[in-house]
Amino acid sequence: MADTPVFNTRDEVDFVVIGSGAAGGIIAKELSTAGFSTVVLEQGKYRKTPEFTHDEIKYFLNGEFFGAGPRETGMTFRDDENKEAQMGQRDPAVYARTVGGSSVVFSAHFWRMRPVDFNERSVVGAIDGTNFVDWPITYDELEPYYSKVEWDMGVSGAPGFSDPPRSKPFPMPPLPINSSGALMVKGAKALGLHPDVQAHAILSQVHNGRAPCLSCGFCAFFGCEVGAKSSSLAAMIPVAEASGNCEIRPESTVFQIVKNPDGRVTEVLYYDKDGNEQGQRAKAVVLSANGAESPRLLLDSDNLANSSGYVGRNLMFNAHAGSNGVFEHELNEYKGVQATRVVMDFYNSDQKRGFYGGGGIDARGGLMITPLMYSLFGAPPSEKNWGAEYKEMIAHSFSRQMGMMVSATSLPMDRNNITLHPTNTDKWGRPSIRVTYKDHPDDIKNAQFLQDKGQEILDAAGAVRTWSQPAGPSTGGVHLLGTCRMGDDPETSVIDKNHRSHDVPNLFICDGSSLVTSTRGQPTMTIMALAFRAADQIKSAASAGNI
Amino acid sequence: MSSHDQSRRSFLQQSAGLVGASWVKVVLPGMAAISQAACSAKEEQASYTILDAAEAGEFESIMARIIPATDTPGAREAGVIHFLDQSFGTFNAPTLPMLRAGLEELQSGITDGRMFSELSDAEQDALLEENQDTGFFSLLRIMTFAGFFGMTEYGGNKDGMGWSVLGMDPHVHAYSSPFGFYDAEYLKENPNG
Repeated sequence: MADTPVFNTRDEVDFVVIGSGAAGGIIAKELSTAGFSTVVLEQGKYRKTPEFTHDEIKYFLNGEFFGAGPRETGMTFRDDENKEAQMGQRDPAVYARTVGGSSVVFSAHFWRMRPVDFNERSVVGAIDGTNFVDWPITYDELEPYYSKVEWDMGVSGAPGFSDPPRSKPFPMPPLPINSSGALMVKGAKALGLHPDVQAHAILSQVHNGRAPCLSCGFCAFFGCEVGAKSSSLAAMIPVAEASGNCEIRPESTVFQIVKNPDGRVTEVLYYDKDGNEQGQRAKAVVLSANGAESPRLLLDSDNLANSSGYVGRNLMFNAHAGSNGVFEHELNEYKGVQATRVVMDFYNSDQKRGFYGGGGIDARGGLMITPLMYSLFGAPPSEKNWGAEYKEMIAHSFSRQMGMMVSATSLPMDRNNITLHPTNTDKWGRPSIRVTYKDHPDDIKNAQFLQDKGQEILDAAGAVRTWSQPAGPSTGGVHLLGTCRMGDDPETSVIDKNHRSHDVPNLFICDGSSLVTSTRGQPTMTIMALAFRAADQIKSAASAGNI
Repeated sequence: MSSHDQSRRSFLQQSAGLVGASWVKVVLPGMAAISQAACSAKEEQASYTILDAAEAGEFESIMARIIPATDTPGAREAGVIHFLDQSFGTFNAPTLPMLRAGLEELQSGITDGRMFSELSDAEQDALLEENQDTGFFSLLRIMTFAGFFGMTEYGGNKDGMGWSVLGMDPHVHAYSSPFGFYDAEYLKENPNG
């Protein structure tokens, strides 16, 4: 293994990659192993796999990954551009600040987009008030990279009822079914639906020298302590570092990308962990900071790469909803991964429903299945949330509860966007992210439709008690999509189909912001496939002297 | 309004807002808004680091009604008071004045001179029910569950008692299939998964 290099900031490296998450980690690995000198600037700390524990106080209450919220970020939210955006208790755009980004803490459900996702505008027609368009690439163009994600990152799964065509089989079998999955099979089949195996970016076997899952149950919002979760941290960063061409520079908060008078970017300016201004010169820059941070940085870099005015627009969170049930016997959903079966029967939009949209319904313990979060937020509703009765209730239901989680479409619209707050700043003094968001009515109708289907499955599976909240408007999200969309037309998109800025020839953007439509609510696999594809395009261009 | 009142009020709003939050709110570090310091692991101690014994006894009495002993241990048995005490020396330090003030206010609701800890269980429950919508109670409730279910290095959840109450084995952190009743049934009929 080569030594990990430390590059001089004044020397020009081949690439600076801003962000080390789902996209940045892959691009850094691909570029560095191809021989390009690469510096990755990551605002978070370099936390490594053996550091991760099941510590709910550290990770949930004390914000180890997600930070201290608006007090530090100054982030604001509003649902209408004519309103003044307000700081709440929480950031409306949620992402982990750590090497590997949010891929470290995701629950790792990996859905390929289907062929129809790429040309759905042509299939279903225009939708008023939206920027709903076809992608500039097809499923067939991206398919090899979905397979590459499965093999290089490590994905466990099995083909199902609704699978799109694939060029290679899954590299390893699915993770073991859990009780929520078994109940979904029972309920869904009773309704004539087709429950599929849920694919996970979590190893079911030793793969690429990494250990398989221990079924410890601490996936969502936790880092995997054995590195079985196929995050950028576990799967890509070590390979990048071993190339001898890649330096991961953590606790480096970028505040400007510098453009020279010729219209090319030359340097990336950042604050180091002590708050000192630093700069890294580079021949080219890859921006992979996520769908909130990437547009913020462009807007704050003198409106860089924004001749279209599309930077920050078309924000999509994915609509989410869910219903919950308690069963007679023990499920023990605190064991194993989240969600082992999924119903994709309602993936495609259907005009007969009276609205646009589609999505998947997965069976899982629930988002709050770790003991402390369950006791505070995950338990069945009750009049009194303390005392002997409450204690007995959670002691009974903790092991008997599951949920039907809906992941669904969001339509791209001008009114949903990331802008700079006119006065608020974050702890570094950068203008704060201002989120403006109001779901399209179809997004909520679709989420409610799917939630009702999930409820039917719970009932058909024999739930003793069920409950849910109506699908409602989003006030924040962890999926940050669409804000620097790709497209062939420089007037209505930020990057071309190879992720190069229409305006700046040596600036590439690849992360959730690149997406043209929202996926059906599990976007990370697509972000990763795009990253592998973008890296191939960037490598080719660099080798041809075309950057 | 003094700056102390203002910060107290904003804290009350924050802690009240933590209750009943939807999942995405939970991802957000509600508690982090009042904390910065990392929590250092310590052995459980019989004595207190921040609280004096008398006020510790009062806090413990409240927590013992939030999670009472039933046929399984409650907050008192799990040493949750040591979690609270330790938290005041670390990440939870900014809330100590507010919780002390809340304790005084609660006590002021008792007119016959007894301490809260001297009331009967039923009297304690009645008084707490009157106060259950306050920021004081909301925060103490969160801290009680945090001390009951948080990792033992934070001072509470003695011997993993909290996890045991939920049916988990506190000494096991990896599992194998089958996990529960329904997947075991499924695998009988579908041995290949």
